[in-house]
Amino acid sequence: MLLRLLAAALLAAAVPEMARAADAARGADLAAHRCVNCHGDNGRSQVPGVPSLAGQPADFITVQMILLREGIRHAPAMNPFAQGLPDRDIEDLAAFFASLPPGPPDDRTPKDEALFAAGQALTGPRHCATCHVADYGGRAQIPRVAAQREDYLVQAMIGYRDGTRAGVDTQMNSAVIGLSNAHIAALAHFLAHLD
Amino acid sequence: MVRTSLLAAGFLAALATFPALAQAPAPAPVPGWAVGRPEGSTLAPHAPRLTVTPPDQVPVGALRLPPGFQAEIYAHGIPGARMMAEGPNGTIFAGSRAIGRVYAVRRNADGTTRTSIVAQGLAQPNGLVMVGNSLFVIAVNRVLRYDNIEANLDNIPAPVELTAAFGLPTEQEHAGNHHWKFASLGPDGRIYTNVGVNCNVCETDRDKFALLVSFNPDGSDRRIEARGVRNSVGMAHHPVTRELWATNNGRDWAGNDWPNDTLHRIRRSGEDHGFPYCSAGSADPQFNAGRACSEFVQPAALLGPHTAALGMRFYTGTMFPEQYRNQIFIARRGSWNRERLSGFDVAVAHLDAQGNVTRVEEFMTGLRDDANQRFLGRPVDVQVARDGALLVADEQMGAIYRITYRQ
Repeated sequence: MLLRLLAAALLAAAVPEMARAADAARGADLAAHRCVNCHGDNGRSQVPGVPSLAGQPADFITVQMILLREGIRHAPAMNPFAQGLPDRDIEDLAAFFASLPPGPPDDRTPKDEALFAAGQALTGPRHCATCHVADYGGRAQIPRVAAQREDYLVQAMIGYRDGTRAGVDTQMNSAVIGLSNAHIAALAHFLAHLD
Repeated sequence: MVRTSLLAAGFLAALATFPALAQAPAPAPVPGWAVGRPEGSTLAPHAPRLTVTPPDQVPVGALRLPPGFQAEIYAHGIPGARMMAEGPNGTIFAGSRAIGRVYAVRRNADGTTRTSIVAQGLAQPNGLVMVGNSLFVIAVNRVLRYDNIEANLDNIPAPVELTAAFGLPTEQEHAGNHHWKFASLGPDGRIYTNVGVNCNVCETDRDKFALLVSFNPDGSDRRIEARGVRNSVGMAHHPVTRELWATNNGRDWAGNDWPNDTLHRIRRSGEDHGFPYCSAGSADPQFNAGRACSEFVQPAALLGPHTAALGMRFYTGTMFPEQYRNQIFIARRGSWNRERLSGFDVAVAHLDAQGNVTRVEEFMTGLRDDANQRFLGRPVDVQVARDGALLVADEQMGAIYRITYRQ
């Protein structure tokens, strides 16, 4: 614990004191070594439970990586990759993934029209598009959910609903409150099949 | 992950087995935070910045102050820094929300400062208060006490866990709403804090939520100081009258200009300030329940719609001109639930000798860019340092400004 505190303090002190823009090319190099095995060469995950990052807003990736690094967001497979990452690396990784064209995974399940419609019907009362915007492409700290992996969407919404995941603000926890597993499955199917 | 995807597959299979369920999920309840939200609104909280802002990007040069006042950067490189407390030896502690850290800012011999991390990985450790040499950190319902903290900043010992003794509602009980704390030490030696409402606006347990409460420092003897205060993230006791004062965040989704955020004066413990029936002195459009707003304590001042009036302190120093003595400085973090930005400044509430607010005026501005509807920073707390300077925490920039006065 103490070592982690010291390491964090040293990292904070080591950040260069100059203005810099995030560097997507540098982010691509970093990603090649530590990210693409699970998240996909093109940022579209083919691994169940692992989210696609292609076309995500850079702010969203940055903020989530900070939460993972700090141990605020618990994702056992991911926390070790985030641990100790300097802010600069995180911002460059975010710029890289944000620059990739989004799209569905190769193994996307066939569309079930009834389930799709059921999910779509929930988006009105839940005001999903208000934050995630009309095409569900996200903005700033709010993620792209269109064409995200269905299994990941289910997992994320259950986490928010059950209080095992927190965002940078609490809107998402309350946005999914009271949703049944069937509601979540329908919402995930709808979102996963948007292009 | 595998287990979750199997579960997901299970739900899908269940849906396939019960096609009626798949076609028409029962309507889910409208989440509490969205009550009253108009169709088509795209207002959403602003993105936080949780990475280090280099000092040359901290907008201290944009700050505007009354004549004679100057601002400088006191500390930087502390992402998400929020509520402050000062130790007996002058260390400034700063809590945070999303990034989960508590920082310490120490002054070097040459007047510069250095920062370090006291704690991390906590859930919204926003409530900080010093009791003697001990730093109390309140993170949602978790209460930690770091004894003799300033002597141990380079080797932080494990804190004393007081969570069970305080028994604050959990994040789950809050349903993810307004669970972060502000903490203050009363002149009676008790710790004062808030328990925000567990929704945007709703009927709720009014003995459990939307409260100001106080405790003995060991967590015993909980007392309700004020009821019907939606979400206070700032409070302080008047240095002369010893009355408790508090800021309050009004509800969302009731329009651009209603209700105002408010300043509250608590003359007697336990009085009712009206939420959810009334806000800012007038009836709630959905939750009034036929109650007359005159039956509740009226706000001491209106602080502007959606301004997010947060940390407040009485000015007890002597550096500033006499007119500021015992007046209330209030950090207004700035709006999100409003089409045009409001707040993003520090205001002063001026009181007369009877303790009535005579006017509220802007003190530190320049962070809100009205022409472009953007903001440069978000002031969240103020702290009167022992030398009389006013410290202002800017959460968005991860910095603390120091405001001084010279004739």
